[in-house]
Amino acid sequence: MNKSILCLALSGVFMTGIAAEAAPIKAKLIMPGDKSWEGSIVGREVGPNGDWIEFSTGKSPRPIRLGANTIKELVFDVNIDQDKLNEMNQNREYERIISALDRAMAPFAEYSDIPSNLSRYNALLMELHYKTKNFDKTLEFAGKLAADDRDPELQEKGRIYQALALIDGERPDEAEELLSKYGWSEGLSSDAAPEKLYITAKLMTLKKQYADAMELVAKVIAFNSQDPDWMQPAELLCAEVYTELGMYDSAEEVIRQISLLYKNTNEDDLAQQLKIRIEKLRAEKELNESLESEEV
Amino acid sequence: MKFLCRSYGHALKATLVAVALSSGVAVAQDYSSMGITDLVGSADRMLQRGDYRGAIPALIEVINRTGPLTDPQGRDTAQTCRFQLARAYYQVGDAPAGVTVLETYLENEPRKKERMALRMMAQGFFDTQEWDKIEELAMRLLALPDLEKEDLYNANLLLGQARFRQEKWAEAVEPLGYAAKNAKDPRVEGLCQIMIVRALVEAESWRELFGWIPRIYRTDSKYDISLNLTLMKAGKARFEDDDFLNALLLYRMVLPREKLLEFADVRIEKLTSKLEADIKRGIPEGDIEERRTEITDIKESKKTLEELPAYEDEVTFRIGQIYAEVKRYWEGYVLFDELYKKDRTSEIGEASMLQSVLILYDISQVERAEERIILYLEERPDGQYARTLLSMMERDNLIKQNFSGVIGMRGYIESMPATQDEDELSLQSDMHYMLAFGYFQDRKYKEAGEQFSVIIDNYKQSQHVADSIYYRGMTFMMQADYKNALTDFEQYQAENEYGEHLSAALFREGVCRFGLEEITGAEAAFTKFIDTYPEDVLVSEAYSMRGDIEAAKEATNEDPHTLDRALTDYRKGIDKATTSLQASYAAFQAAKVYKLEYKWQEIIDLMNYYMDRWEEKADVAESVFWIGQAQIELGQVQDAVSAYLSSIERFGNDAEQQGVDKIILELVKVANFHLSEEDREGLAVKLKLKLTNIDPRYEVLRLRLQVAQALLQGDDIAAAMGAELLEANTDLKLTTPASLSLMCDAAVDTGNVDEMQRLYDYFVTNYEESDLLWHAYRAKTYMHLANENDKEVLWSIDEAQGMFGAEAFMGWAQIIKADTEFRMGKLTEAEASYNMVMGVPEWRGPLFAEAMYGMGNCRQEAGDLEAAHSFYQRVYLLFKSYADGDWAAKGYLASADILLKMGREEDAVNTLKAMLEDPYTNTNPLAEKVRAQLKKYGSQ
Repeated sequence: MNKSILCLALSGVFMTGIAAEAAPIKAKLIMPGDKSWEGSIVGREVGPNGDWIEFSTGKSPRPIRLGANTIKELVFDVNIDQDKLNEMNQNREYERIISALDRAMAPFAEYSDIPSNLSRYNALLMELHYKTKNFDKTLEFAGKLAADDRDPELQEKGRIYQALALIDGERPDEAEELLSKYGWSEGLSSDAAPEKLYITAKLMTLKKQYADAMELVAKVIAFNSQDPDWMQPAELLCAEVYTELGMYDSAEEVIRQISLLYKNTNEDDLAQQLKIRIEKLRAEKELNESLESEEV
Repeated sequence: MKFLCRSYGHALKATLVAVALSSGVAVAQDYSSMGITDLVGSADRMLQRGDYRGAIPALIEVINRTGPLTDPQGRDTAQTCRFQLARAYYQVGDAPAGVTVLETYLENEPRKKERMALRMMAQGFFDTQEWDKIEELAMRLLALPDLEKEDLYNANLLLGQARFRQEKWAEAVEPLGYAAKNAKDPRVEGLCQIMIVRALVEAESWRELFGWIPRIYRTDSKYDISLNLTLMKAGKARFEDDDFLNALLLYRMVLPREKLLEFADVRIEKLTSKLEADIKRGIPEGDIEERRTEITDIKESKKTLEELPAYEDEVTFRIGQIYAEVKRYWEGYVLFDELYKKDRTSEIGEASMLQSVLILYDISQVERAEERIILYLEERPDGQYARTLLSMMERDNLIKQNFSGVIGMRGYIESMPATQDEDELSLQSDMHYMLAFGYFQDRKYKEAGEQFSVIIDNYKQSQHVADSIYYRGMTFMMQADYKNALTDFEQYQAENEYGEHLSAALFREGVCRFGLEEITGAEAAFTKFIDTYPEDVLVSEAYSMRGDIEAAKEATNEDPHTLDRALTDYRKGIDKATTSLQASYAAFQAAKVYKLEYKWQEIIDLMNYYMDRWEEKADVAESVFWIGQAQIELGQVQDAVSAYLSSIERFGNDAEQQGVDKIILELVKVANFHLSEEDREGLAVKLKLKLTNIDPRYEVLRLRLQVAQALLQGDDIAAAMGAELLEANTDLKLTTPASLSLMCDAAVDTGNVDEMQRLYDYFVTNYEESDLLWHAYRAKTYMHLANENDKEVLWSIDEAQGMFGAEAFMGWAQIIKADTEFRMGKLTEAEASYNMVMGVPEWRGPLFAEAMYGMGNCRQEAGDLEAAHSFYQRVYLLFKSYADGDWAAKGYLASADILLKMGREEDAVNTLKAMLEDPYTNTNPLAEKVRAQLKKYGSQ
């Protein structure tokens, strides 16, 4: 399918109630103390006199002006077909979702610094950018979420993806600093949160401290086996670290389980790639051993 | 488990609205007199009011009247009323009557509400639990064309449940899956998922099950108690069938009991309070009953769970076992570790400790394993796995040849509490046995023997007793305690007719008898060994040993062929050898015998035979050395030189080929004694050329050729080269005995104590068998001398003499020994040591003079001036020419000095005068001193 047509089609999927950029944006404005107005944002004025949001309630001819930093939250009227989104996510059409979400979010870009109900979409974009290995973008979204304390769950998610993006972006020093800042590098016992164990295990892997990494990721698997969210990536990491440790039989066993439990997932795809790599490594090892024995 | 179909009431109302043809009010109860339209209107009003009971007679009356009609409108009315009548029965709780009516409805036409009728019928059978009928109805419903989503959902829900109840596990999954996917009510979705899991477990459809599990575990269904119990039960069954992978995946989904109970309590609380609120608000009795049943079900499953014996630790342990079994060692380890940390003293805690250590060894985390074992031993020396773990650690160290590690465990082994348990006793004897081997391999034979004795004396039932007797014999033998060794070897043979070491014990018996100088007995033992075990791995050595015995025999008229027999045995030794070392020993011993008999060609033939037989494993350099010697004796000097050069070049870059160093020394000897000046120069040129053209990577060969070149140029050049190598801090990896010898001597000459130690260590570690090793001992002796450590000096000399005896090159050792004893005031020992020098003809020369002078010193020190004078006198009378007259001069001076002490001044002066007249001493530097002394006495 032609790419631009595809984008348009996707826009159609997601945006059913969004006005054009220049037009007023329908929103609910909530102030500290939870006083709120229904109406439209008609503009923003940033100048020497301050940062002002112009908001029309429709009841008075002139919009009211509110300091941007005094607004507690903006609730935009975003109409997204969640079912379609889930389906595409399930089909792992990440790039398409990112593209569509970017378009859907574009009208609100000017207000992205103000707390809003867009956080969950930003969180989704953060995850999608991570899945597509765009770690700078992941960090951009994760940073904002991590700094926003209105929703502790999303904030925690932001922190997690900050760490993951730094590690997968091969920035171990910054990752280490971040983990230390969040206190994640301590108390890595069996009852530690799986994400904390997993992230630290990843960092150890990056630093080639494979035995340490293995012990941590083994804790995720052994003590959080009923948590599919972390089990899936942990099992893949486990297979990778077993490979690095030269324990190919163990790695292959994990891969077998991944393909049994997590069929048609990213982890399964990566596990299959790893399997091919192991076959190669095993062949090399056998060759070296036979050469060595010949030398002896 | 009971379910209702979705939207049932709503759909029925819609139907009723359509059915109502008019809205007349029926006031009379005698329906027989009413017209059909009024009857229908009356029924409709009652239904709309919710008066289902009241509507029933009116509907029956309509059906009675319209039932027999055949026109389309009449049939339509009859069917509509049948449907409504069934609905009314359902509403008043008389489902069986409703079902009967629906059956008639479904047998007639038209069936505008067929889908609803089928669903209602199925619902009716729920109460009577007639699952087969429900299944049939659901299938009938699904067979209808153009079903709406709602109907599909309900039909699948009914079908899935019906099949599930009939234990048609595999068939239940698909409809339940559809229902779970399309359920709007999360509670129904959850229940469907739970049924799916149970069905898949029962159907043993593992692959499909594991596809469902991640989905289910993202929901609260995972807290369902019956689900967890099902998984646990299935896990156990799989585990017992050795189906580890499936067992693992099932087990690891089981949640801890406290989490399940906690969730159940919250759920009961929520459902109860909601129900109470809804009752106050007013809900149908059926709903109340249904929700109460749900609460009761949860309470019952909770009770079942509470009554179960604790399963969490057992499940964790099993999961750990499975992980280890499928080689996911680290996952297993952290689980066992957790169990152990949780309770170190419980049975499962201790078992987990053992498992965790086993895994740590599997994943090569030996340090951690050992730390854990030590901690356990410190905490619980009486723990049930103390001996098992200690024995494991000991075995691992033994296998890895970490003998000091094995020995280091002695304290723990000996501090194990006493036991009468047979298994524990067996383990304890294992540990002593391994400890004994630790010592044995570390060459600590005395301690090894003690440990073997512990087993022999204290663990008489141990499987190791017999072996311990044999190996204790070995420890005695290695300490040259042949008497005790012989006793053990004989005992072993007597008590172990089929023992593993029976043949070896007989062979060692021969060795011991040889050591005890019971030569006849030794020969008999070797002969018996050869006859009894002709294919044993030691038979080559037995031939060689018997060959040695024969070679040592004096040939007599009665027995003139001893050497021939020796040679026969050596030949057999070569033929029967299973290692190159065995063959080499026999071959070179034979060469020595041939040499005694001047059979040079035989030496050449034998060496060629040996090299052909062992090819690249043969000690070619040593063989060439022997061939060269023989060729020289046969006058084929140039051939020998060529063979030597060729061998040096061929094998010289391999530092381990020590024969090359022997060839170098032999080559130098041949050059000095058998080559003309011209040929020597030719040889020097050849060496130079080889050095020029050498591959730069052949560094060992280069150094060997340089050493050969230096040695050919004489002792001074060789010594200078040794000093250069020392100065250049030469990488010892490039050195071999020839170069190391020069370096050792240079270290002694320059007094470089650090180098003496370093070179000694390297030499001994790498070339322990070298003929040139004495240079290393000499360096070590001088090092102790420099450190003024007389005891160590004597130890070092003892070692060196133990290895090299009174060889020509060992005079230095004896003289230093005597000097040291003298310095220590041990005058008798010192004099005996000096005297011993004179007993070795090979040391004739300055050493003799020095020894004689030393004996004089001893006597002088002891105050026996006469005897001292006599020794000094012998020095200048017997050894005038040695060391350019130095010793003679010293003798004259010492003699004169003694005479003065004895008051015989005139004799002293005469002695000094004699020195000045003696042509060997009158030009000696000491002569000037004598002249000055004589002036003092006024005579010249």
